Amino acid sequence: MKGNVIKYERDNIDTDVIIPGQYLKVHDYAELALHAMEGLDPDFHSKVKEGDFILSGRNFGCGSSREHAPIALSHSGIKAVLALSFARIFYRNAVDGAFLLPIEIEEDAYSDISEGDEIDVNIHTNEIKNITKNKIYKMKPFSEIIGKIIEAGGLFKYKPD
Amino acid sequence: MGKTLFEKIWDTHIVVEKENGPSLIYIDRHLVHEVTSPQAFDGLRMNNRTVRRPDLTIATMDHNVPTNNRTLPILDQTSKVQIQTLEKNCNDFGIQLFDINSPNQGIVHVIGPQLGITLPGSTIVCGDSHTSTHGAFGALAFGIGTSEVEHVLASQTLWLEKPKPFEIQVKGKRKNPHAITAKDIILSIIKNIGTSGGNGTVIEYKGEGIQDLSMEQRMTICNMSIEAGARAGLIAPDEKTFEYLRGRKYTPKNYESLVDYWRYNLKTDNDAKFEKNYTLHIDDIAPQVSWGTNPGMTCDVTESVPFPETFSKGDQNQKKGAEKALEYMALKPGTPITEIQIDRVFIGSCTNARLEDLIEASKVVKGRKTSTHVRAMVVPGSQMVKKQAEELGLDKIFIDANFEWREAGCSMCLGMNPDILSPGERCASTSNRNFEGRQGTGGRTHLVSPVMAAAAAIEGHFVDVREMDLN
Repeated sequence: MKGNVIKYERDNIDTDVIIPGQYLKVHDYAELALHAMEGLDPDFHSKVKEGDFILSGRNFGCGSSREHAPIALSHSGIKAVLALSFARIFYRNAVDGAFLLPIEIEEDAYSDISEGDEIDVNIHTNEIKNITKNKIYKMKPFSEIIGKIIEAGGLFKYKPD
Repeated sequence: MGKTLFEKIWDTHIVVEKENGPSLIYIDRHLVHEVTSPQAFDGLRMNNRTVRRPDLTIATMDHNVPTNNRTLPILDQTSKVQIQTLEKNCNDFGIQLFDINSPNQGIVHVIGPQLGITLPGSTIVCGDSHTSTHGAFGALAFGIGTSEVEHVLASQTLWLEKPKPFEIQVKGKRKNPHAITAKDIILSIIKNIGTSGGNGTVIEYKGEGIQDLSMEQRMTICNMSIEAGARAGLIAPDEKTFEYLRGRKYTPKNYESLVDYWRYNLKTDNDAKFEKNYTLHIDDIAPQVSWGTNPGMTCDVTESVPFPETFSKGDQNQKKGAEKALEYMALKPGTPITEIQIDRVFIGSCTNARLEDLIEASKVVKGRKTSTHVRAMVVPGSQMVKKQAEELGLDKIFIDANFEWREAGCSMCLGMNPDILSPGERCASTSNRNFEGRQGTGGRTHLVSPVMAAAAAIEGHFVDVREMDLN
C-alpha cells in the first residue's frame, strides 16, 4: 500500500471530530465522506486523495461507538490510520467492516514521518517504508484474530479454523 | 489462583475458546437504538438472515428524538426517516420496541435497568459506547459498532479478545455527599489515569467509596468508564443491586433463586490478580469541572484553568492538546474556574438524568431563579424518570426557576437532535463528553455534576456548590 500522509500531531482525536454527531443520520457513504474530519480540519475533504494515510498520536478514535467514523474516513480514500495507539471500539469497527487498517506505530515513525511524505505500508513484513525520506520503520503486528479478520475481509467473512 | 468478577462472567459466556486466541462470547441482552442499527438490519436482509433471539433484543429511540412537544410531528426529515426505519425493522424482525410515544421510552442506558432488563452476571451489548453503564449491576456490558450489531442480531454472539482486568479502589468517605457526587469521583479518576488509562481493560470499581453509592450513582461511575478508554466498567452486585431490580417489569420470575446464586458467585476472589491497579482517596475531593476538550482535562472547582506546560508535565503532545483545547474553549490559563461565565445549562444524558440526579439538582434550584443570561434545561433520562419526578413535584421546582422541562432523550449530549449549542455558547453540562463540537458546532462544554450544573444556572458562573445552602 503506497500513499501520502496527512499528519495530525496530537493525541485523542475523537469520533466527534472525525464525524460530528449531526451527520450520524446520513446513510449515504459518499455524503458521509464529505464531512470526514470536519470537526478538526475543515480542509480535509479538499486535500485528501484516494490511498492517503492519516498519521496521528495516542488514543486515536476515542469516544463514541459510531462506525460512521471509519466509514467516513474510508470513503474519503483513507486506506489506513497510523497512530501511536487506538481507542478499542474504533479499532474494532475499522477492522470488522474492512473499512481501513488501524496500524500501531512507534515513536520513531510518528516523529519522523512528515505531512505529505510518501510511504509504503507492508502488513506482511510489518514494515513502513518512507519513500520520501528513504527510511524504514517497524509497525506493531496485528494480533492473531485481527490479522485473520483483516485477511478474510471483515467480520462476516471471517471463518474460524 | 482465584478469578476476578470479570473473568467469572467471561468464562460462563464462552461458546468457543481458542488457546491464546479470541473467544466467541454469548450475548444475553442486546439493546438497539435508531442510529447505529439501520445498516445492521439492511445487512441481515441482504443475506437472508433473521434475528436469532428477538426475545433477547430490545429497542428504543433516544439519540435523535426531539425533546419538546411529543404531539408535534418530527420536523427533521432525516431523523424522522431513522425513527421510522427502526419501527419497520422491529416490526419486520419481531423485536420489542419502546417507541417515541411509549411510557417506557428513554435513553437506552436509563431504561435497561429501570425495566429490569439489565441483570447481574449477564453480558449486554448495544451500538453505543456508554453501554458500560450497565456494569453498575455486575453485568459485563460494552459498546459495539454497527457490523458487530449485525453479528449479534444474526448469531447472538461476538468474537472477542479477552480484555485485561483493571482494579480501581475508591477509598474513604465523601465529607459532603450532596455536593461531592459520583460524577466527581469518576471525573477525578479519569483526570488521574487519563483518557486512555483504561484502554484494553475492564475496570472493576471497588472499595468503601463505591459500596456507599446508590445504584443510580454507581451507573454514573460505570457510564464514564469508556471515557477512560476501558471496554467496560464493573461493580460487584450487593444487596442494593438486588433490591433495585426486585419487582421491575422484566425482572425474571425466578428472581430470588437468581439472587441466591449471584450473592455467592458474582464477586472477585481474594486471591485474584488484576493486571493494573489504581487507588483514589475521596475524603478530600472537590467538585470537578472540565476545562478542556476531553474528560481528562478536568480540575477542582477551587482551582484555576491550568497552564499547558504545567498540565502536560513535559509531554509535547499533551501540551499541544491543552493549547488547542484552551483556544477552542476561549479560556486563559490562570482564570479561576469560578469566574467562568456560562450561557447554557444541560441537566440530562445517560450519565446524569436519573431520578436521584434530578432530586439533588432540585435542592439547589428550589426557591431560586436562573441567572438572567443563562438558558437552562432539564431532560429526564426516560419517560419513567419524568413521571416519577413529576409525582415528586420536581418539574414545578425547575419550571418556577425558569428551567425548561423536557421529554426524555439523549438531547444536548451529542448534537444530533434539535437540542444544540450555538457556536461560541458555553454550557455547564451533566453529560459525558466535552469534545470539540460535541454539543453542536463551536459549542463549549464543561462537564460537571447535576448539583454543580444547577448551581451554575443560578449564579451564571461556576460556583463551589459546597458553599450553597441546600433546600
